[in-house]
Amino acid sequence: MLQFAADVLVRAVDLALIAVALSAVYSLISFPNVALVQYAVVGAFLAIAMQAAGLPLFVAGAIACAIVAGLAVVFNMVIFERILKIGAANALIASLALGMILSAIFLVAFGSQPQRLDVPVTRAMNILGARITINQVYSIAMTMAAIGIYALVLFKTPLGRQMRATATNANLALATGIDTRKVTNIVVAISGALAALGGISLALKGSVSIEFGTNMMLPVFAAAILGGLGNSIGALVGALVIAVAETLVTNINFGPLFGEAFWFFPANYATTVSFAVLVAVLLFRPRGIFVSGVNRV
Amino acid sequence: MFDFWIHILIIACIYGMLALSLNLQIGFGGLLNFGQIALFGCGMYGAALAFSLQWVPLAGLGIAVAVAGVLALFLARLGRNLGADYWAIATLSIAEIMRIIVTNEVQWTGGAQGVSGLSPLFGDLARPMGQYARLALMAGLVLAILAFCQILTKSRLGLALKVMREEPNLASSLGYDLNALRRTVMVTGGVIAAIAGFFYAHYFSFVGPDQLVSAETFFIWGMVIIGGLANNYGVIAGAFLLQIIMANVPFFKDAFDLPTDFVSAARPFLIGAGILVFLIWRPNGIFAERVGGKRV
Repeated sequence: MLQFAADVLVRAVDLALIAVALSAVYSLISFPNVALVQYAVVGAFLAIAMQAAGLPLFVAGAIACAIVAGLAVVFNMVIFERILKIGAANALIASLALGMILSAIFLVAFGSQPQRLDVPVTRAMNILGARITINQVYSIAMTMAAIGIYALVLFKTPLGRQMRATATNANLALATGIDTRKVTNIVVAISGALAALGGISLALKGSVSIEFGTNMMLPVFAAAILGGLGNSIGALVGALVIAVAETLVTNINFGPLFGEAFWFFPANYATTVSFAVLVAVLLFRPRGIFVSGVNRV
Repeated sequence: MFDFWIHILIIACIYGMLALSLNLQIGFGGLLNFGQIALFGCGMYGAALAFSLQWVPLAGLGIAVAVAGVLALFLARLGRNLGADYWAIATLSIAEIMRIIVTNEVQWTGGAQGVSGLSPLFGDLARPMGQYARLALMAGLVLAILAFCQILTKSRLGLALKVMREEPNLASSLGYDLNALRRTVMVTGGVIAAIAGFFYAHYFSFVGPDQLVSAETFFIWGMVIIGGLANNYGVIAGAFLLQIIMANVPFFKDAFDLPTDFVSAARPFLIGAGILVFLIWRPNGIFAERVGGKRV
């Protein structure tokens, strides 16, 4: 049972940071930025490259997050602000195109081989019967700290109040003297940093390759959509739901149902579970489990 | 060299059909379908299934059209009360689910190995003539589908689609059934994509899950956006343009002695950059939509 909880937590942490980042920007610019999963890959690759160049891991990670945050703002100002004037659908396509360009650049720059952070590979610890590695613990702690800080900023600071005001009604916020463009860019920067941290957190637990962005796209979207796009705390719950679904389906022995001793859900289908959960939920709750303020046809 | 270009033109014709099918949905209907490759896959695997069951090849076309129709209806049903971006991601998910099923259900689909040895089109003809006949068939098909799409989009249905795309609430208030429109356009586009997939499978005599990755959908998106949204001639031009550019990438690589990863990176890079450049500077594509029917 504890092992199950540990597995769920590890998987949820994989998705949570990027899903929260996705929801955070969605609430302000009202299109899902698909390129965010590639920002995570960019963050991981930058941290790996800088660590290989001799920087300590902590410094390399911090610089990588800062660079990705800056890149996210530049892309937002150069590309998305213009295209959003035409329509949210075009911005969605543009973010997809940007993701393709980023992954192509990284394919040429780093090759198709998976890359690793230089962290010691340790044996799994045994905590009350659950097997978990120290790197997984670091990754969980890092994610929780990052999301905790983000939640504090969002709910306890003047900046957070401006962010929530802009998300709820941008025109009204502008009328009350909030510089909505500045607030949007700050949130875009935060989302870039969170996504990069998500990528680094994954690199901490294993290798990262160029396909990673594409593989993560749907589970991350499933988590964000389940939580109701634009609701960043909902995204956290969405990540947990997806993690529970994936872990349950691969760990339960369905054998007794068919009168056999053992029948496990084929592991090859594990990735489809999150997509299936997404489609099933959307059939019944078209705006995710937690309905947010989004209302467009 | 000449044979190579005939081959590229045949592929361009097949992608032209796909671009036309997607254009019906996104260009005219405004439906952000990110799962078009799944409908194309119905066509490919319909052909493969008929081959494995040793039925006549044309039965494959029947299977393809039927399965694509059902899948398109499901996608349309899913779109009934979803926001555009939610639906886009849902269609992407369904395409991925389909690819994973096809990869794993080895007894039906050959798994990752795929199905090979499908009867080639005009396999009896001697070498140069067979290829010409194939080109003529594909060109004929794409022209026929082009004519069909032109008639369809110039008709009252086309007009209704444009109203749905621009002002969905106005369209409902005028008495148009948006769900019925969505179903019609999804199924029509789906069947065209399945026909393209069927001929693709018989042209290559091979069907495999590698052709079903979602990047392929974005490739078709690139053709539609670069060629010209909601312009049937434009998207065909886009399909030919992109195919010809992609065919030249390996020569470019050899000429400048670039690394091998360059070739596999060039495709997503060029499509991504093309989409972005056009969205920013020329959102209507090379050939813009003609507004208002006949001549403006």
